[in-house]
Amino acid sequence: MSIVNLLENWSDFRQQHPSDEHKHLEYKWAMSIDLDACTGCNACSVACYAENNLPVVGKEKFSHGHSHHWMRIERYWDNDGREFADQGAQFLPMLCQQCESAPCETVCPVGATNHTADGLNSQNYHRCVGSRYCNANCPYKVRYFNWYDYPTTENVWPEPMRQQLNPDATVRSKGVMEKCTFCLQRLRAAQSTARTAGRSVRDGEVQTACQQVCPTGAITFGNLVDPEAKVGKQWMQQQVELNKDKQAKDTAEHASKLRGYRVLEELRTYPSVMYLEQLRESAI
Amino acid sequence: MIENSFNRRDFMRVLGWGGATVALSGCGNTSIEDGKELVTSYVEAADYVIPSIGTYFNTTCAQCDAGCGIMGRVREGRVLKLEGNPTSSINKGKTCGLGQAGVQAHYNPDRVREPLLRNGSKGETITWEKALELIKDKIGVGAGEVAFLTGGVSGHTKVLLKNYLDALGSGHHYAYEAVSPAIIRAANKKAYGVEMPRLRLDKAKVIVSFGADFLGAWVSPVHFAQQYARFRKNAQGERGVLVQIESKMTLTGANADRWLAVRPGTEGILALGLINGLAAAGLSVPKDVLDLVRSYTISRVSKDTGVSTEHMDKLVALLRARSPSLVIAGSAAEGYAHGSQNAAAINLLNKVLGNVGKTVEPPSAISFPQITPTTGNRSALQALNDSMAQGKVKVLFSYGANPVFTAPVTMKLKENMKKVPFKVAFAHYMDETAIEADLVLPLNSAMEDWSTSVPEYVAEGAQLNIQQPLMEKLYPGTLGMGDILLALLKQRRPDEYKGYEDFYSYLRGAMVSIKGTLGKASESDDTFWDGALSHGVVKLKDTPISLANKVSAGNLALPAPFAEDGGYPLHLIPAVSASLRDGRNANEPWLQESPDPLTTIVWDSWVEVHPKTAAKLGIVEGDIVEVASKSGAIKAQVYVFPGIHPDVISVPLGYGHEAMGRYAKGVGANVFRMLDPIFDKETGELAMHETRVKITKAGQRVIIVKDEGPAGGNQMGRKIAVRMSSEKANISKEV
Repeated sequence: MSIVNLLENWSDFRQQHPSDEHKHLEYKWAMSIDLDACTGCNACSVACYAENNLPVVGKEKFSHGHSHHWMRIERYWDNDGREFADQGAQFLPMLCQQCESAPCETVCPVGATNHTADGLNSQNYHRCVGSRYCNANCPYKVRYFNWYDYPTTENVWPEPMRQQLNPDATVRSKGVMEKCTFCLQRLRAAQSTARTAGRSVRDGEVQTACQQVCPTGAITFGNLVDPEAKVGKQWMQQQVELNKDKQAKDTAEHASKLRGYRVLEELRTYPSVMYLEQLRESAI
Repeated sequence: MIENSFNRRDFMRVLGWGGATVALSGCGNTSIEDGKELVTSYVEAADYVIPSIGTYFNTTCAQCDAGCGIMGRVREGRVLKLEGNPTSSINKGKTCGLGQAGVQAHYNPDRVREPLLRNGSKGETITWEKALELIKDKIGVGAGEVAFLTGGVSGHTKVLLKNYLDALGSGHHYAYEAVSPAIIRAANKKAYGVEMPRLRLDKAKVIVSFGADFLGAWVSPVHFAQQYARFRKNAQGERGVLVQIESKMTLTGANADRWLAVRPGTEGILALGLINGLAAAGLSVPKDVLDLVRSYTISRVSKDTGVSTEHMDKLVALLRARSPSLVIAGSAAEGYAHGSQNAAAINLLNKVLGNVGKTVEPPSAISFPQITPTTGNRSALQALNDSMAQGKVKVLFSYGANPVFTAPVTMKLKENMKKVPFKVAFAHYMDETAIEADLVLPLNSAMEDWSTSVPEYVAEGAQLNIQQPLMEKLYPGTLGMGDILLALLKQRRPDEYKGYEDFYSYLRGAMVSIKGTLGKASESDDTFWDGALSHGVVKLKDTPISLANKVSAGNLALPAPFAEDGGYPLHLIPAVSASLRDGRNANEPWLQESPDPLTTIVWDSWVEVHPKTAAKLGIVEGDIVEVASKSGAIKAQVYVFPGIHPDVISVPLGYGHEAMGRYAKGVGANVFRMLDPIFDKETGELAMHETRVKITKAGQRVIIVKDEGPAGGNQMGRKIAVRMSSEKANISKEV
């Protein structure tokens, strides 16, 4: 894919959110996260470090905002001025939302971040020149910049720790942007196996690292195109539609009993991650 | 001995099994670099090795004592990632963040690589033959006991340890865990007849947890988290209600429908108040219990505990309306001088509610008592310390514990250790205890070692966990604990153990010898053993136990709530975090950089202070304060926190290492050291929550390094993390 090709076929690469003209054909990877099951334990975040070769930056760089947690747990309080946070915390696992109309993609001066045919917001490390426009434009703040050359930075991967690095994922160098890929290396392996067998990837055949580790099974991941996929059934049952910026159920007159929503959906990013609202008992 | 450890590889090659076989062909380790071993080309790859394809081998997680089954992804001779083993009934394919970091314990750059013998203030490298010879000599001279300090032990490590101490005659085993539910175990034993009954969170409609952080760091968190998911959404689509009662919010508390801040130490009073309320609401309660709780009226208990009458009434109504429930006594309730009484009162509430047999189930007994878990407690260290102080110990072994780090300063443990002529530390790191030792023996990592273990809390039936090497040893100079114990036993009982070339052959022999009792007599030895290794767990025959289920007040007597202490007005709660626990994993950088779930702080200690208390003391976030008890003091940054009682401050445990390694040393402050010597009256356990403190500003202010943004926990009107009332949702219709 040359730059000329990229520019000539811009509309294909800048594919809009799925519409009747631009349907996803074989795959559309999507996720749902049940916030009533999520306990905020951070297992997903650590598993992501292990799977995707994320550098540990240390206290000083962390204080500068240089941390590399592709999956992070955001913690909110809702105590409304009460003395204690007596209904607990609100945890939200925040990762790249793999937006169908990603604000990061439009601003990349070199087309390093663009959409794949299976609905991922991809990041081409070789093409990235480090302008960081994408990071500035991301409303979810889930893009992480390599301010340093971590492979050669002291105590990031000292011997023999570098032996743990996952050869299926890259190790990024200084000056490039990186982000959650929905564990692209796992997806590609599963897609390749399925293609060899002459079929599509079956639901449950591939798991993201965060999904696999989650002790409460709060994370569901799969192919929205597949009618058998649990994630698609969840989206449908929750009446959350991928290509809407406002869900019909939210504008209905009667109060909705459905928990599904997408974060900052009104920005017309068309995220591929649906969250299910946390519940709290009112009898106590 | 050394020869044996090398021959073991040949042995495994012959057997053609285990991750270690895979490792042999591929990885370029030091032994290959030294030219001692042939490098085999991939053209002649070992079984299961396909370049670029990962193979999974089952083993057991050693990051905490829960004993989760894990599988390691091995590729080209290296273990890359750990996942949960779906075969294990404990964690069913899941792990926690701590478990994920197991690979960082293995590949840690600060591991001890060779046996070291003290020469002045330096450690000199010696050979294993010399080291073992030295131990034999030192045990042979002089009178006095040989003390063996360990953490919790079980399986064949325990068998060999016991046999070694028996062979010595003068050996004493001290099982020590710095943070363990020892008081709860004793109270459970009294109430139910077993130390750890099975808790069926998934069957309960209401859970009332008195400070049990079962989602974070308590007993078997991954198992409980899975049960919790089914509690929140069961097969019928009903959602259970969690009420957490504690003075400092734990991760479990942060997930509660209602988190009730209780005055520290009054947990038992609250439990009796609830019994009183339940009786008034029509629950049938035996007469002696009724007599006991008569004076614990809702209004009095509300005054004593600080929990509002409104919440107590609602909780009583909830418990009456929804059954079965489950009441759990956790570490926040047991941490006092009357911890046993607190736990007894909470267990009584459980019994009165009729939960025994419904959500509290009997565990299974294992028919092989030699391998059952020996759990640790804090009084064991006290006993060892007394022995050392009196100069009775001639040789001290330390394995799986770091008492110099975890003992309160008032014990003078470090000083007393100096009275021991010869101290041996089996170590992964040069931690605070290893530094004090005369001989440091480096252990294999959990990914290089053979062992078996039986966890204290097994979810279903009886189960023996198997740990097998996932790859070749990183350093030729380390050895497995089993191999060391076997070598020590060969010094004492050569006739009995000479038949076992190494621990592997011992273990295989031991396992194969019981295949008949497991109903596998028809399988060949190889088939049986291969099956055990490929599953990572062996189901043992279990003997059912029945729980004691007589509801009686017993000799329960709770003290009045604490009196104020003008000099030390605040209660200190040393918090057990899911990642750092007692500090043994502090040198794994993923854990240091994994934000604390509640405060989002990384790479440092902090002091949690309620906003009201902070305002009263004129403290803001980031102020460095001195926290002083009668026994010691630390300095740390203040984090103003809405999940803590105003009379309480909390500092996490596990930080403040003075040794261990590059990621742990100098990070934060060690709160173990400043705990006051106050003990539970019944068990003699150190009461972890009894310490009273005062805080004073130390003058500095820092910007806390944390993950949350400048708005703190405020969503600024955005719809980011959304919460709804459960009666509005219809989860039974959900996919």
